[in-house]
Amino acid sequence: MIANADALLKPLTLKGLTIRNRVMSTSHAPGYGKEGKPQERYQLYHEEKAKGGIGLTMFGGSSSVALDSPAAPWNQVSVADDSVIPFFQAFSDRIHRHGAKLMIQLTHMGRRTKWDTENWFPTVSSSPRREPASRTIPKELEPEEIARIIADFAAAARRCREGGLDGCEVSAAHGHLIDQFWSPSVNQRTDGYGGSLANRMRFGREVLEAMRRAAGDDYVIGIRMSGDEMIADGLSHEDCVEIAATYARDGLVDFVNVLGGQARDDMAHAISLPNMSFPVAPFLHLPSAIKREVDVPVFHAQRVTDLATAARAVADGHVDMVAMTRAHIADPHLVQKLIEGRDDDIRQCVGAGYCIDRIYVGGDALCIQNAATGREATMPHVIPKADVRRRVVIVGAGPGGLEAARVCAERGHSVVLFEKNAAAGGQINLAAKAGWREALSGIPRWLAGQVTRLGVDLRLGVEASEAAILAEQPDVVIIATGGKPSHGHAKGAERALTTADVLSGAVELSGTVLLFDEMGQHNAASTAEQLARRGCLVEFVTADRYVAQEVGTTNQPIHYRELYKLGVVFSPNLDLIEIYPEGNRLVAALRNTFTDAEEERLVDHVVVEYGTLPVDGVYHALKAGSVNAGQIDLGAIVRGEPQPYDLSQGFALYRVGDALAGRNIHAAIYDALRLCKDL
Amino acid sequence: MPAFGFPLLVWLMAAVAAAAVAGRALRWQWGRPARVDWWAGLRAVPRRYLVDVHHVVARDSQAARMHMLAAGGLLAGSGLAALGVIPPLGASRLWWAVVALAFAVMLAGAFLVGARRFPVRPARLSGGRFQLLPVLLLGYGLGGFCLAAGAAAGLPAGRAVLAVTAGCGLALAWFTGKGPMRHAAAGTLHLAAHPRPARFAGQRDVALQPVDLNAERLGVETPADFAWNRLLGFDACVQCGRCETACPAFAAGQPLNPKRLIQDLVAALEPPGPAPAYAGSPYPNARPVAGRGGRHAPIIGAGAMIHPDTLWSCTTCRACVAECPMMIEHVDAVIDLRRHQTLMLGAVPEKAAARLDDLRDTDEANGHGLAARADFAAGLDVPVLAPGGRADVLLWLGEGAYDLRYGRTLRALVRLLRAAGVDFAILGAAEKDCGDIARRLGDEATFARLARENVATLAGVGFSRILTADPHALNSLRNDYPAFGGRYEVWHHTAFLDALVAEGRLAVGALSGQTVTYHDPCYLGRYNGEVEAPRRLLDALGLARTEMARSGARALCCGGGGGAPLSDVAGDRRIPDLRMEQARATGAALLAVACPGCTAMLEGVTGARPEVRDVAELVLAAWEAGQGAPAKRAALELQA
Repeated sequence: MIANADALLKPLTLKGLTIRNRVMSTSHAPGYGKEGKPQERYQLYHEEKAKGGIGLTMFGGSSSVALDSPAAPWNQVSVADDSVIPFFQAFSDRIHRHGAKLMIQLTHMGRRTKWDTENWFPTVSSSPRREPASRTIPKELEPEEIARIIADFAAAARRCREGGLDGCEVSAAHGHLIDQFWSPSVNQRTDGYGGSLANRMRFGREVLEAMRRAAGDDYVIGIRMSGDEMIADGLSHEDCVEIAATYARDGLVDFVNVLGGQARDDMAHAISLPNMSFPVAPFLHLPSAIKREVDVPVFHAQRVTDLATAARAVADGHVDMVAMTRAHIADPHLVQKLIEGRDDDIRQCVGAGYCIDRIYVGGDALCIQNAATGREATMPHVIPKADVRRRVVIVGAGPGGLEAARVCAERGHSVVLFEKNAAAGGQINLAAKAGWREALSGIPRWLAGQVTRLGVDLRLGVEASEAAILAEQPDVVIIATGGKPSHGHAKGAERALTTADVLSGAVELSGTVLLFDEMGQHNAASTAEQLARRGCLVEFVTADRYVAQEVGTTNQPIHYRELYKLGVVFSPNLDLIEIYPEGNRLVAALRNTFTDAEEERLVDHVVVEYGTLPVDGVYHALKAGSVNAGQIDLGAIVRGEPQPYDLSQGFALYRVGDALAGRNIHAAIYDALRLCKDL
Repeated sequence: MPAFGFPLLVWLMAAVAAAAVAGRALRWQWGRPARVDWWAGLRAVPRRYLVDVHHVVARDSQAARMHMLAAGGLLAGSGLAALGVIPPLGASRLWWAVVALAFAVMLAGAFLVGARRFPVRPARLSGGRFQLLPVLLLGYGLGGFCLAAGAAAGLPAGRAVLAVTAGCGLALAWFTGKGPMRHAAAGTLHLAAHPRPARFAGQRDVALQPVDLNAERLGVETPADFAWNRLLGFDACVQCGRCETACPAFAAGQPLNPKRLIQDLVAALEPPGPAPAYAGSPYPNARPVAGRGGRHAPIIGAGAMIHPDTLWSCTTCRACVAECPMMIEHVDAVIDLRRHQTLMLGAVPEKAAARLDDLRDTDEANGHGLAARADFAAGLDVPVLAPGGRADVLLWLGEGAYDLRYGRTLRALVRLLRAAGVDFAILGAAEKDCGDIARRLGDEATFARLARENVATLAGVGFSRILTADPHALNSLRNDYPAFGGRYEVWHHTAFLDALVAEGRLAVGALSGQTVTYHDPCYLGRYNGEVEAPRRLLDALGLARTEMARSGARALCCGGGGGAPLSDVAGDRRIPDLRMEQARATGAALLAVACPGCTAMLEGVTGARPEVRDVAELVLAAWEAGQGAPAKRAALELQA
């Protein structure tokens, strides 16, 4: 049991609303909205947290209140008309059944959205200053428009109340319209809404007053805001404290939900959503300072990934509630596990940012390590027991093999798991070797812990042969042998080393290195950092338009920051066409992807990243003897049905993860979960 | 004339015994007066002996047989022989044949007494004069038989036979005052003048007596502070050691042995001087004491008769009381002694003192806010009974509600009550500590205040019965509160859930394939006789139930009662470890509990052990299984 667990499990009452504990999930935009409404998928996602013991779950990050703040870019919720109310009612009933509370975030995004979508209205703001992140130049709001938007906020608050939601917060963080009025970096107005801080606070004040009038004084309304914009021309920490103190003192807000930073450009975005390169709770001092100035509860989210940190934050009086939003994406049952004394079973968020990075490219939020999150309609968070106990042999204890072993063991099967290396983890062990990516090791650590606890026969350091597998008399064999790095297709490719050679420590390089990347993922960026840190002069070449092109928006800026600091040279738009020796050095021939102009580099080493190819020797050895010739019935997988093979005639053979085709951690885990949940 | 010698010897023995008992009676007189209904008591003696005493003695059938033959033969033979002073009887050879038959019976009993002690005396039996007992009984029995048989045959009595009979008989008679035979006279009188006459005839009387807090001296400091019939009760001890075998503190090597404790209380009656021989098991890891007694000498203290560590080792589990064939009330004595230590001297073990301070200051034993008691139920929307409000069932939460672990049990209970459609409510911040811990630690003043305040609160709300998951609260509310004007129908959650299942209001599915053993909380099983309902309930869940070496009303304590975890007297082992050993020996995967104290004590045991689950948690799992919900992970874990 963690220290101060009792502080975390103490109810909080605000304005007559009692929240059963101090753990919450902040409003975010998982991209589950459909037609502007929180429909089944969205509701089930939050219901899982409610089942899992969370005190308060807030949904609908950036839910829009007005027609000129489109919900579409984020697949989000529109509260701009009454049609959303029945969805709110169903949603709140669903959450309340489990004893949790439900709130929403309301906002007008001002300039922080797109004009070329939904209704094609121009974006609006306090002043016509362009925001780098959204790339829009807003229209300056006229007083009539300000009055309209205030009325929109008020109507939205009424809809929340009528929908049975327990409360709402307005977003005045991450550069939404209210803080676009607050921040001198945007607001250049000379009327009553600009100039002094009091004037800049006027719009927010009028919004909150109107919402109160519309929703009633007894309705819980809070605000999400920054505790320090951390930019020279923005809101200082003192400004933020004054705003919070003023609004709280004037009875405008019932809670203050504080975060650090803002999100106007790439780096600010990465800082405001701290990934694994940051320490835990990096901005806890900001809500802590505001808590000393306000007499309403203070909430806070930002990389509080473990309950011990959360408990300390509450017990020490820094905050009243801790938001563990990403932590719940990794494990929606974490509070229940704490209560039941099973805190060792909590799947802890590693801070990979996979969930957020997907939504900023228009995808849906998915957890790198928990494939059931966001798929509650089809994937179980608690694996039910199987009717028949099977003998399952799994080859390879990477993420796919470990997840397969975990799920099969939870199903009640007898499981043997072979791993040729001395430690479980597969390619994650390589990824975790690189600089700030170490926390990835948490993924196999949890899986291996579960597998051990569930009594899986884990045979480390044992390479599974066909004979060894068949000796177990399996009903099911799952090949999760992962992939081996590809050397690519350039002429002379055999002269290149791979990123895996570098990260594994198989080679120690010095001198000049040309790193060629075809994947645009973390692998090459991490390797470049690793090499540069050890003194190599690194040129990072890619055929993509820019380096690390596929790395998401909370991670890519961290790679860039580190690589720039280390003097790594970026050379995008170049394809690698040949490697040949010259003396004891290598020449890499490159070709511009737009002009076809060729150039050469004379370097000590060429390192390449072309992804992986399946390790499938055992698979092919077993294939002929299996009842299904190694094939997965895709229809059955999609329908959520058991694989249709008759195991009385022999064993079934399946492949998961990179052993099928090189993809990523989530794909391997999802492959395993969806196959094994029905075995 | 020889036939008259024997009857006269018996009369002489009776006179010696009477004198010896009279000597003891003078000592009993030192005690405080006590109201005793002599007439009813004496009338009830045969029944109390044949039913209540026999019920205890018969747990050891060998001992029962031994006692029936030896005591029955001795009393019958001696009594009939004494009637030989009546001439027609003394002259009747048939009469003497009957007497001889009685002594033959006694002789058989005397052999059993010997067989019990020789060649190896079991550790629980005292030696010393007790080891002489079979010799004397054999001598007197054999002599009596020879004399009676001789008289029946018309033969003259041999001098040697008469001498042996007289020697042994008179020694036995003298031992009625200061030896192994004391239990005969004192025990009989104790049955008649017992301080808890309500405990007989299958009844239960476990309520502690309130104290007049205005009295000048509170509790017991010296032997003279005990009521006289308590002193009589101590004299009834036959040093059979059944209490010692049952005592958890003794087993754990803490410095407590109930038998020795009673003997020390007997010895405390003696004026300063060489302590009378005690030849039983000592207090384990005995703390040195001066061993000084005296009518007005303090009993507790290193410089007195009993070390404080001995007093504070008791868990008040009542195992000694339940095992005592002489119906001695050890726990009453412990509480009386503690009351003086706590109320008059403030000599409470350190951690216990902090608890009592919190209770006095905050009405709660750990200083938690009273409103926080229902924190565990946040999100469950449990109705709170405002003054004047009404619910069918009042759920009394108890101290355990503040505990994270026990909150899980209470949440399970709340969900089950919901599922069964029970109309229930809690008192919320109006519920104060029931006072059990204060009372067992001797702080009667705090207990009395809390009891009065809780009784007043309860008088202001409407309910038809009280439900609690805490056997200590149950015992206080059910047994201790009537003296403070609160009379309630109090249910333990195991009995309540059992009734709900039996009535079909709670449909439970099966938790098949799992083995369970049930640990009886002392304050539920021994104090309140509820041993069947939890077992019925577990059986209804489809669990395979096995029993531990000690179970039901004879279960071993978890070590958590009577403030023992606070006094924390060091021993060789921890009591919960001993109990867990018994649970492990059953091979059960689950250890079912029904008390927040037991849960905490047993779950604190390290190493491989059965999973500790409150009965309510198991019922909830079964109910969920019955709802077709996916089996809970916790339940699955147990099979792995």
